[in-house]
Amino acid sequence: MIAEQNTLFIQHFWKDSNRTLEYYLKHMNGYEAAKKVLGGMTPDQVIDEVKKANIRGRGGAGFPMGMKWSFIPKNSEKPKYLVCNADESEPGTCKDRQIIRYTPHLLIEGLLIGSYAIGCRHAYVYIRGEYVREAQLLVAAIDEARAAGYLGKNIFGSGFDLEITVHRGAGAYICGEETGLLNSLEGKRGEPRVKPPFPAISGAFSCPTAVNNVESIANVPHVIRMGGDAFAGLGKIDKSGGTRLISLSGHVQKPGVYEMQAGSMTLRQIIDQFGGGLLNGRRLKAVIPGGSSSPVLTAEEIDVVYDVEPLMKIGTMMGSAAIMVINEDTDMVKLLLRITKFYAHESCGQCTPCREGCHWMESILHKILHGEAKPADIDLLVDVAGNIGGKTLCALGDAAAMPVQSFLKKFRPEFEAYVKGQKRHA
Amino acid sequence: MPKCLIDGKEVEFSPGENLVKVAKRAGVEIPVFCYHPGLSVVAQCRMCYVEVEKMPKLQTACSTMAAEGMVVKTQSEAVKKGRQGTMEFLLLNHPLDCPICDKAGECDLQDNSFGHGSANMRHSEERRTYVDVDMGPVIQKNMNRCIHCTRCIRFGDEVAGIHEMVAIKRGNNIDITTIDGKQLKTEYAGNYSDICPTGSLTLKDFRFKKRAWMLKKTETVCEGCSKGCNMEIQHEGNVVYRCVPRENLEINKHWMCDEGRFNYRYTQDESRIVDPTLRAPDGHKSAAWQDVVATLESKIRGGEVLFLLGTDLTNEELSAIREAASTLRTGIKIRTFGTLGVTKTSEDGSADNILKMKSKTSNLNGAEKLGLEPLAGDAKADTVIVFRGGRAALPRVEAKWSAGVGVFNREEASGFDSVLPGLAFTEKEGTVVNHAGIGQRISRAVRPKGTCKSVPEVLMSLLNTKSKAGQA
Repeated sequence: MIAEQNTLFIQHFWKDSNRTLEYYLKHMNGYEAAKKVLGGMTPDQVIDEVKKANIRGRGGAGFPMGMKWSFIPKNSEKPKYLVCNADESEPGTCKDRQIIRYTPHLLIEGLLIGSYAIGCRHAYVYIRGEYVREAQLLVAAIDEARAAGYLGKNIFGSGFDLEITVHRGAGAYICGEETGLLNSLEGKRGEPRVKPPFPAISGAFSCPTAVNNVESIANVPHVIRMGGDAFAGLGKIDKSGGTRLISLSGHVQKPGVYEMQAGSMTLRQIIDQFGGGLLNGRRLKAVIPGGSSSPVLTAEEIDVVYDVEPLMKIGTMMGSAAIMVINEDTDMVKLLLRITKFYAHESCGQCTPCREGCHWMESILHKILHGEAKPADIDLLVDVAGNIGGKTLCALGDAAAMPVQSFLKKFRPEFEAYVKGQKRHA
Repeated sequence: MPKCLIDGKEVEFSPGENLVKVAKRAGVEIPVFCYHPGLSVVAQCRMCYVEVEKMPKLQTACSTMAAEGMVVKTQSEAVKKGRQGTMEFLLLNHPLDCPICDKAGECDLQDNSFGHGSANMRHSEERRTYVDVDMGPVIQKNMNRCIHCTRCIRFGDEVAGIHEMVAIKRGNNIDITTIDGKQLKTEYAGNYSDICPTGSLTLKDFRFKKRAWMLKKTETVCEGCSKGCNMEIQHEGNVVYRCVPRENLEINKHWMCDEGRFNYRYTQDESRIVDPTLRAPDGHKSAAWQDVVATLESKIRGGEVLFLLGTDLTNEELSAIREAASTLRTGIKIRTFGTLGVTKTSEDGSADNILKMKSKTSNLNGAEKLGLEPLAGDAKADTVIVFRGGRAALPRVEAKWSAGVGVFNREEASGFDSVLPGLAFTEKEGTVVNHAGIGQRISRAVRPKGTCKSVPEVLMSLLNTKSKAGQA
């Protein structure tokens, strides 16, 4: 287990009373980082600290956060926006929910510092529609902060103003994609936009915009408090600073949200030490390492350091750090059909390969599972996935194609057993 | 000018041009569905894949701007595979009912399938089907054929200035429809059919009337107003089947209004007078051309004579009438008429901030440039002769005797003592000058109806009759 001084979030989770401003001020040095920033740091100094901290975006793409902020043009006449992506919709992910539930003021302070850094006067939190209670808690925390003078006009007498609006989504996976999110925020259909222009140039309301994940933003007060270098030093691997919140689910003894220093553990260690090993003594079959869209790993591939680059090297991704553990009893065909069904259901429908292809993949998988497929359908499925992956407007196409491609690559005999009639759907 | 390399050919481009446009100049056609040069770029159909050096994924040519030294391949194996994939996806749910589809023969889906798709179908699942909404009098919707390119949605939003087409539901169930299933309101609805890359939005007016490949095409200019939108008359067997806009970036870009598009209908309406008539006690009676011309000639020999010239006539017709008038007799007064309340170009202007102009005739500016004066008040004289192309709004005529020369329907003809039927804009050549002073040519697409005669023919008959009368 990790010593408490080396985690930033988890020691404050799980207790309802911890979410108050009082607790935040008393036990978490609440709003001191913001005071320091507004009291004497320039926006560039803030961005430099965040760059030094090596925060890789916690939403899925792993893009360096400081760099993202530095893309916001400094001389633009237009208003600038900081938008927090709290859509947390990649299946298996539930870490941002804990931050909002138990440490909402970390997020608010992060938004305050980030807004100052990029010149934003009105920040938005786009929260998934299903997080009804979390949205209420966040609004309550924002009200608390405003009443205490941490939001609103002339914060800390610095002349800096900030308002935060919480905007609830209507329940669409695609609105977690940053430009789909921005369209939805603007009241339009939740469909990703063509890039370029990137949000940093033309984002919310056609103004320069930074879109960051909840966990990314909630790390910013820590960065300022500790200093970028010290924060980066928490990471035990190059180019990845701080700690990582992990959503561990599936066939483990103790599923839940955990925190580790970035790059400090392998997948196997996470499953054994955090998860307490597999449930009911069953054997491990596979692991989906970074949310349901990430390519699956076999039981033999899990001695890999759990961070962005080591996972990328073995052909998968860390994504939103949602680990799904799959035991030997799991039918991989059924599991893939369930995953594919999700992506077909969540496709926005604007671009051809995803709209048509995801549904087709679902149909083929359904046929395979029900013994209605021909042997050639397996290759057809792989080919269809290839016509989707890398060819769509946004990453949802890849998200739908990667599970199919990796399952078929690593667990093909299970699919063939159905097609050959050796196995029947129960 | 910066240059890039497309399939090994060096092409110049201006900054901001996308690869579809630049490739076209190099003679390389990149297949598209959602891209339209007059609409915003959405890169949704994923048909225009190209390979760009140093970029790992295929790029969509519509959303990729040419850059100095960019090396683009449009025919690589990866590109072909990508396009074939997209074609396959688009046809999964398309009914392939080309034999009964009006779009067949001019269908992007058909063309691109032929050019870039596979002849084999690997899909055996049931197709997605929709129940269609009634979109009103102009457009027939067939959602089963739709490929969700969203051109129609963007046309409404960006050109027609009306948000009436929308996408509802999502993913495989996405439906392109009108808000709340209402009928279309725009007066530019015909364009929805033009830009639809498949047979999802077709013209009710054209429905099941003709296969597209049988149509002959004549380039001309719309006579519906003083905008001068460039258009094409599509016809076969001396029948006009439809009019569609032609691209002219200076005037109408890619569009035209429904009023102009369907304006041709009156030219082949059964109520059009196509043989000369003379008033008889019980209404108009057909008469021989020579009798009608002789009557008319006798009526302009004496008294006060007014020639009223429609600003829907061509420059050539206007000049010829003026010249003939001076030869026929001295003192014939000439005035123009066209649109109530818009008698001069200074009174003209945009009627809807899109294309339509206030002047509802095509050549107000031309008539003005020729020095012709507009009629003020009612047309009063002993004899009034009204020359008209077919669209100019008839003024009130007070005369002992009056005749109409040109295109009139039965109701309009009843106000005259005689009608000498003339040629409609689809039946003649000539030039007109639009509101902005741009001179353009109109072209003859079909032969005149009945015994209709051109303005010069009528004028020459008149002069001929006069000289005969003089000799007698």
